Amino acid sequence: MTRLVAASGALAFALSLAPSAAADQAPVDLQRLIDEAEPGEVITLDADTYEGGVVIDKVLTLRGEGWPVVDGRGNGHVIEITAPDVTVEGLVIRGSGDALDKEHAGVSGDAARIRVIGNRFEDVLFGIFLRRGDGSEIKDNVIGSKDLFIARRGDGIRLWESHSSTIENNVVDSGRDSVFWFCDDLIVRNNRVSNGRYGLHFMYTDGSLIEGNVTDGNSVGTFLMYSKGLTVTNNVFSENRGPSGYGLGLKDVDGAEATGNRFLGNRVGVFFDNSPSERDVVQHFESNVFAFNDIGALFQPSVEGNLFSENAFIDNGEQVATDGRGDLEGNEWSVDGRGNYWSDFAGYDADGNGLGDIPYEIEDVFSDLTDSYPDLMFFQGTPAARAVDMAGRAFPDLKPEPKLSDDAPLVEMPGFPAAPTAEAAASNWPVAVVSLALLGFAGGFIWLAGRRPGSGTDSKVLPA
Amino acid sequence: MIRVKGLTKRYGHITVLDDVSFGVPDGEAVALWGPNGAGKTTIVRCILGFLGYEGEIEVNGVDARRRPKAVRQMVGHVPQELDFYDDLTIAETLELSRRLRAVPGSRVGEMLELVDLGAHRTKKVRELSGGMKQKLGIALALLADPPVLLLDEPTSSLDVASREHMIEVLEALETEGRSIILTTHDLDEVGMLVSRVLAMEDGKVIQECAPSELAERLGLRSWLHLIVGQDQQEAAVELLAAHGFRAHTNSAGILVEVSAQRKGKALHTLQESGFEIVDLEVWR
Amino acid sequence: MTAATAPAGIDSSAVSERVEPRLVGVIALKVLREAVRDRWFWLYCAGFALLAAGITTLALPDTEVVGTGGFGRTAASLVALVQLVVTLMALTLGARSLAGERESGTLRFLLSHPVSRTEVLLGTYLGLGGALLAAVAAGFGVAGLVSSFRSAVVDVGILLKIAGASWLMALVMLGIGMLVSVVVRRTGAAMGAALLIWLGLVFLGDLGIMGTVAATNLPAETLFAVAVANPIEAFRLTAIVSLEGSLDALGPAGTYAVDSFGNSIGWLTLGVLFAWAVAPMVLAWLLFRRKKDL
Repeated sequence: MTRLVAASGALAFALSLAPSAAADQAPVDLQRLIDEAEPGEVITLDADTYEGGVVIDKVLTLRGEGWPVVDGRGNGHVIEITAPDVTVEGLVIRGSGDALDKEHAGVSGDAARIRVIGNRFEDVLFGIFLRRGDGSEIKDNVIGSKDLFIARRGDGIRLWESHSSTIENNVVDSGRDSVFWFCDDLIVRNNRVSNGRYGLHFMYTDGSLIEGNVTDGNSVGTFLMYSKGLTVTNNVFSENRGPSGYGLGLKDVDGAEATGNRFLGNRVGVFFDNSPSERDVVQHFESNVFAFNDIGALFQPSVEGNLFSENAFIDNGEQVATDGRGDLEGNEWSVDGRGNYWSDFAGYDADGNGLGDIPYEIEDVFSDLTDSYPDLMFFQGTPAARAVDMAGRAFPDLKPEPKLSDDAPLVEMPGFPAAPTAEAAASNWPVAVVSLALLGFAGGFIWLAGRRPGSGTDSKVLPA
Repeated sequence: MIRVKGLTKRYGHITVLDDVSFGVPDGEAVALWGPNGAGKTTIVRCILGFLGYEGEIEVNGVDARRRPKAVRQMVGHVPQELDFYDDLTIAETLELSRRLRAVPGSRVGEMLELVDLGAHRTKKVRELSGGMKQKLGIALALLADPPVLLLDEPTSSLDVASREHMIEVLEALETEGRSIILTTHDLDEVGMLVSRVLAMEDGKVIQECAPSELAERLGLRSWLHLIVGQDQQEAAVELLAAHGFRAHTNSAGILVEVSAQRKGKALHTLQESGFEIVDLEVWR
Repeated sequence: MTAATAPAGIDSSAVSERVEPRLVGVIALKVLREAVRDRWFWLYCAGFALLAAGITTLALPDTEVVGTGGFGRTAASLVALVQLVVTLMALTLGARSLAGERESGTLRFLLSHPVSRTEVLLGTYLGLGGALLAAVAAGFGVAGLVSSFRSAVVDVGILLKIAGASWLMALVMLGIGMLVSVVVRRTGAAMGAALLIWLGLVFLGDLGIMGTVAATNLPAETLFAVAVANPIEAFRLTAIVSLEGSLDALGPAGTYAVDSFGNSIGWLTLGVLFAWAVAPMVLAWLLFRRKKDL
């Protein structure tokens, strides 16, 4: 049985190792393999466990077949890359150290054009940590984490000073964050980041494309900071419900274009903090869906320069709110005579042009109160809070100034492509079964309880 | 055996039972007789533990205040207000009672037969006449064949035929060695069912005697209807009034209120003064 | 005094003055049967189930577009519905119970049997509690069934947890209602008192705290303490904790609660609910037992 195949050269090496591949033999020394490989060589590893803690310091491809395991046994980095153009592919990378200050990682690189493709990361502090890795590719990896308190975990993916890299089709679960900083022109596409702290965190990443990613169940879905010219399209931000709980947060972001995104069930769909930060910059939010969030879009009071059109705001607890007292004057809620769809629009469209004949305005008493007294958020959604809003509608004197006015609200929901997660929307049979069981229980219970007893008991002698 | 000693019940300043004491040995039926508000039903409710009270009540040696469940186990009760569950049928009502008393199921049928309600067993209580409800009440009271019966106006809603039947039933019960308390305002019933009467008024027992002596002992009042000469009527009424009788004329003669022992005195007074009494009737 | 010969051989000494489960059961079954035959019970059930179905339908408009999200908002609306409807149902059921039996005279019928007042009280509580269990199960069954056709993210465990918490809160309200029923003799007055309590717990309490916050800058910890003492709020917080795992969404007061109680916050709110489920019933029991006159 062949334990190891060296694709080029080192035939003698292979011959010397292959016969001694019995279980009682010492494990293959991966570092020796690397050290003895020629630059540019492809090392193919078969299914076995190899000792980690290796350093790759030359151009090399490390390729696994049948999921060989590289195990760092809890010490340091599992694989450290110090030379450019290294590829790591098809491995199970396991067991890094857990020192946050040393940033122990599954793959730690400090070189350009590193390719980390199709690996599985298990029990690692950081998954992939690249520095000065311009033009790198991180694709098709599945990245887990260490079973630690979340602040003591590392990041699933971390890139620093790695411009023009591509991060694509990765699945990151339960890491701390995935952080990209000082990396311009990134392509971050079709990744799924779940159950972490900050799903995707961008700082100083001008000109990057963020497309088709799903960040769900994180504390914060995706946070963009200190960046210009970002494109955010067709992402799903769902159920990010940490203390801040933004699906998408923008801090000091200028010129972001967001289209086709879905903000679903987050605490806050999208949060604007000093974005845009420069006076004459505008940002477009077009054709996005904001649904079932506690707050659809939340603005710091002074934010202006965001244009909203063709979006759908569906049944958010508050459709749009300000974080503190203030208005949304400096932002536009219709562009070229087309506004947004609001599920709670109570107007009409007599002339049939698809636009409401009266403006959509947000003037809820309760949300006005919570703007002034954030403590009152405690009561959001209670019957009492709803009563306050009803009182506001019944007695116009109580109404605050409209916080927002969309002069051309859409009366029909604009068309959207199917959600990337829509395949999961099939009927949910466990719930159906349990619900039927509940109904059956209730029905049977009521039937049994309501039956008339005592008919015919005179012939039946029951024990006293 | 029922023993009531110094039973007193007050609602605030109003005393509805004032130091009532009596006993009912096994095999005896005693009537509590008196007008409405005399306190008869209150005594029954005290025995059943519906009300707090001062004094002592013992049923077969069991203190009613300390062991109300045990007392109720021994007591069958026909309530004055026949308040059963309107939505239950006769059979269901008996079934509920049977379960609460842990009585064999066969008793339900026996009771239905006894009170002649078998044909109506699936009727709901709300559909029953007062008489049928009373029969149901009697069936419920007898369901567990209890040693003590508290019958609170048990025949007041029955028609004449049912009433005779029920009185037969109740008379039969007495002979089985039970203690029975019967409350009633009907003297005839008292005569038929009990051997002793406690007459009550304003929360006190004012007389205790055999039924036959009751009317006299109480000085029960009745009306004499006297026919005298047409032209003598006014004078006769004046004379009677002067002797302390309440009297007035009616179309045919004079009505005089008399107590049981003074019927003759009214006649005597008139005759002494020369009035001719053509005819007389006693009205109750 | 010598024991009399009892014709039917009834041995009074065998009768226990203690609570007998068998008798409690007989009364509970009777009360339950009565409750589920009552048209008010059906009105409440139908109203709750229809509204629950409506909320679930409206809140999940188009899975094609919005994906499978949105159960959180649906659940929040369901919780508010429970706060409104199930509380009222349970309060009025409880308030009518003993007062109604007293007024119609059937309480005397019941208590002319060898059963104690404690057994009547317990049986009534259990019977009505059973009826409420059926109502809650029916409502959540309908809501769950509707949502199962429309969303895949409804979590069975969360659905059952919230349904369970709803029942617990219904028991709380039932206990309060029965306390009213013991104290207030007339059915009409008892129903009026129940309605006032409902208004107070559902609306006035929260509105009062809101006003105080606006007027006096009430500290978050005081706000939380006062609010969580309200069983209806404790229920809502329990539901939110089972839905979200924390109270972070509730602003500074929620953050305070999470900081102070951490993971035990759910146990705290559940504990408040349990305390409320027990205390009014204990009080009702003491009063009903001590109160001599029916």
